[in-house]
Amino acid sequence: MSTAELLPGTLDVLILKAVSLGKLHGYGVLLRIEQISGGALLVQQGALYQSLARLEHRGLLDSEWGTSENNRKAKFYRLTAAGRRTLGQEVASWKRLSDAIGLALAATPLEA
Amino acid sequence: MLVELIARVRSLWRGVARTRQVDADLNEEFRLHIELRAADLVRAGMTPAEAARKARAEFGSTEHHLEAARTARGLGWFDETRFSWLDLKLGSRMLLRYPVLTIVGGLSMAFAIWVGAGTFEALRQLVFPVIPLPESDRIVVLQNWDAAASQPELRATRDFVAWRAALESVDDLAAYRTVARNLMIAEGLAEPVFTAEVTASAFRALRVPPVLGRALVDMDERADAPPVAVIGYRLWQARFQGDSSVVGRTVRIAGVPATIVGVMPDGFAFPRSQELWVPLRIDVAGHAPRQGMAIRIFGRLAPGATLARARAELSHLGGNAASDFPQTHQHLRPQLFTFAESVRAMDGPGGALTLLTGNVFVMMLLVLVCVNVGLLMFARAATRESEIIVRSALGASRRRIVMQLFAEALVLGTVAAVVGLAAAGWGVRWGMDLMRAELTDGSGNFAFWMDGRLSPLTFVYTALLTLLAAAIAGILPGLKITRNLGDRLKRASAGAGGAQFGGVWTAVIVLQLAVTMGFPVATFFVRRGAVQLATQPLPFPVDQYLSVRLDMEPLSPEPGADTSAAAFRARYVAAARTLEARLESEPGVTGVAFAQHLPQQYHPNNQVEVDEGAVAAQDERGHRVGSSRVDPKYLDVLGVSMLSGRWFSTSEASPDARVAVVNKAFVDRVMGGRNPIGRRIRYVWDPEPQPWFEIIGVAPDMGIRSGWGPAGIYLPLARASMYPLNVAIHVRGDPQAFAPRLRAIATDMDETLRLTNLMPLKDVVNGEVRFQAFWVRLTTIVSAMVLVLSLVSIYAVMSFAVSRRTREIGVRVALGGSPWHILRAVFRQPMRQLGLGLLAGTLLVWVLTGGTDNGVPTPTELLTLGAYTALMALVCLIACVVPTRRALAVQPTEALRDY
Repeated sequence: MSTAELLPGTLDVLILKAVSLGKLHGYGVLLRIEQISGGALLVQQGALYQSLARLEHRGLLDSEWGTSENNRKAKFYRLTAAGRRTLGQEVASWKRLSDAIGLALAATPLEA
Repeated sequence: MLVELIARVRSLWRGVARTRQVDADLNEEFRLHIELRAADLVRAGMTPAEAARKARAEFGSTEHHLEAARTARGLGWFDETRFSWLDLKLGSRMLLRYPVLTIVGGLSMAFAIWVGAGTFEALRQLVFPVIPLPESDRIVVLQNWDAAASQPELRATRDFVAWRAALESVDDLAAYRTVARNLMIAEGLAEPVFTAEVTASAFRALRVPPVLGRALVDMDERADAPPVAVIGYRLWQARFQGDSSVVGRTVRIAGVPATIVGVMPDGFAFPRSQELWVPLRIDVAGHAPRQGMAIRIFGRLAPGATLARARAELSHLGGNAASDFPQTHQHLRPQLFTFAESVRAMDGPGGALTLLTGNVFVMMLLVLVCVNVGLLMFARAATRESEIIVRSALGASRRRIVMQLFAEALVLGTVAAVVGLAAAGWGVRWGMDLMRAELTDGSGNFAFWMDGRLSPLTFVYTALLTLLAAAIAGILPGLKITRNLGDRLKRASAGAGGAQFGGVWTAVIVLQLAVTMGFPVATFFVRRGAVQLATQPLPFPVDQYLSVRLDMEPLSPEPGADTSAAAFRARYVAAARTLEARLESEPGVTGVAFAQHLPQQYHPNNQVEVDEGAVAAQDERGHRVGSSRVDPKYLDVLGVSMLSGRWFSTSEASPDARVAVVNKAFVDRVMGGRNPIGRRIRYVWDPEPQPWFEIIGVAPDMGIRSGWGPAGIYLPLARASMYPLNVAIHVRGDPQAFAPRLRAIATDMDETLRLTNLMPLKDVVNGEVRFQAFWVRLTTIVSAMVLVLSLVSIYAVMSFAVSRRTREIGVRVALGGSPWHILRAVFRQPMRQLGLGLLAGTLLVWVLTGGTDNGVPTPTELLTLGAYTALMALVCLIACVVPTRRALAVQPTEALRDY
């Protein structure tokens, strides 16, 4: 299956979605996005941390230090109440947009 | 929304306050990420080394991601403007490498900070005094405010007694009044001392114990108690030679024997600069409400009480009094302030305004000086242009480069601030000494809360000034030098010239020239005015006279004496006559004359008009002249003869006489040189009309000082209608030597007679002249420094601007340009700046000196001004010639080689 570049601005909402399924460290977020998109979406590895920092800065994510699967110190991200709200709004608006685009692209010529 | 805002602020704060931790955390995350990815790749079949390499490559530059993450946290701005120890170290090194700039720039800034901190401190002491008494913020002053008359009602003995009994939120309520009292020690001479009559509770409220003996106690206030006194430290040292057995000694105060019971510590001079405290006896029974003596009331807030509570309680008492005594207390509103509030020299918006105006001046000076330093720093930065371009090419942002220059300016400014503050500490004391006459109440001592020390507030203010100075001197040139760096990077590699002075700098140079010219010239005019004032020759031998003001205790110590104003007046006139007779019979005295104001003392000025109109042009406030009422024998005693007309006859010494003598300056300035004799003058006052006075003669200028030029009039003195009187005594030999004899005569005559301001007439310099002298000294120093600094920086900047064109000049020579053309091209710009600067300077001088009497310069002064302007032009010329000569000497081949 071929992979697609992310549309600008969509990484943040994907991260929120990934984290909403359970707390994750940075690499975990990357794997989770690949997993839930069926490997179809490719995330720039380093760019992930810029997004994580921004979301944390905005108070949408919270973080705490814990231990990773290889027994290393790792920072785990968790959705905050504000993050959950934002995710809901983003998902709704994405659905509206994709429905509209889907509808537009599915249009056929009208019979005269 | 709010949640997000709080989160952002918290995250920002964490980023700023714990920068290292945040970075370390991120690096830790990156490492884990790369390790986990490598482990996955190994599981997919790669060798560990290959996996590690691939994982790192996929991740990209950790430095880059780190910076991106910090920017995402909103820390980008912080990172760019943050400067490190390294910047400061580099800054210090730069200062050492360019010592001339460091010294000139540092001195300029130190000078601006000196003036700034000094002005701020002096104004703060006047506007926000700090009272050196224990818990002084809890000392409160109470008074009745007469809302109908808009003035305080000080006759409040009855209210004092009522408040003392009822107020719970103010303890130790005390009252005082200030008086001058003659103090006579043993059989010595009586001399006036600034005295406070106080209730014993005052010492409890102030919480300052005496150093010797005791303070006043309640018993002392009783009418039948023996008279006692507490003396101040300075009085103890000066008049009792610090005698440790002074307690118990008997002195005479205003003719009454009193026992000294205590000595207060050094620095204690409550309520202002008093040195003697005697009990205040309040007799309420004898007075109706709003009757009796004028007193001032203060106390200390009770433990736990607040100002608000005390105000509420007092206002409640005021309400009660208004209903109990509607006749007298209906319009009285009791008020309560802290002591500091009550002694502010300038209260409310006026004080704040003064502080602000003072600061505007300081800011202007600071901005000017710092722009000047900025100009120098720009010139230096321009010589480092290639370094800056390289740094920029290596990835330094514009902000980083600007911050580096700011750091340099900050190092310079900090050194300057230390020097400036040290100088300010000295300057404030110096200035206060010079202004002693204006700041004291006549005792020659400052109010006890004033001192020459700098307050913490002034240090904070100086820190802000330093930051501002560094911002102007560092950031401005930094922004200028880093503009269009990209373009210049290209051009630099192509070998073209670099940073140039643009329009802003041209304006700065022109302004600089204007101020350099205008400031000292304006000072010159001020100086001339003051010098004229101080050195105007008097037409009589001023060093042969003694001057003194004659005061008298209002109440005679004789039991049962008449206390009416008329009785006092009669007593005063009789004493004056006796003193006059006693003096005239002294062998050392050749003449005695009484006057309202003596030569060189301040004479109040008033607007006058002349019938049929004055001849000379008048300014917007009309013809204002000084005046003095003088004895008919005044002229004889001074030994002066009339210029024309006649002087007063003895019979004209009455309040109803309608004759006047004018001085020479009056003829020149008001009459335009016409003969005034026979014309009539009168004051322009409300209510009109004022009576006309006939001018009967013209006298020479005999030292009328009104702050409004030397023009003045003399009116005949009726002694009974004037208090206090001044006396001029013509003596043989040294007037100072006669002073003790005069005191002895007065003490012998009447102990209630007080000789105030006893000094040789030649030492009488009124406050205006003193202030002028202070102002002249200050402006001379300030302008001399401005002058030197400006000339140095004008030279530096002009020669820099020309030297930037070395290559251009070389090319022109190589291409066969005639030296004359080249000179013209090079000099055009600086000469235009010089011309504009001188023009602006002339305008500035005109504005600064316009409207004063001193505005029109004499030929000699014009010559001096011309010479000064020529000197300035010469400096500019040399600044252009030196680098041009150097440039002309450059071999054309050398100039062309760079292309």
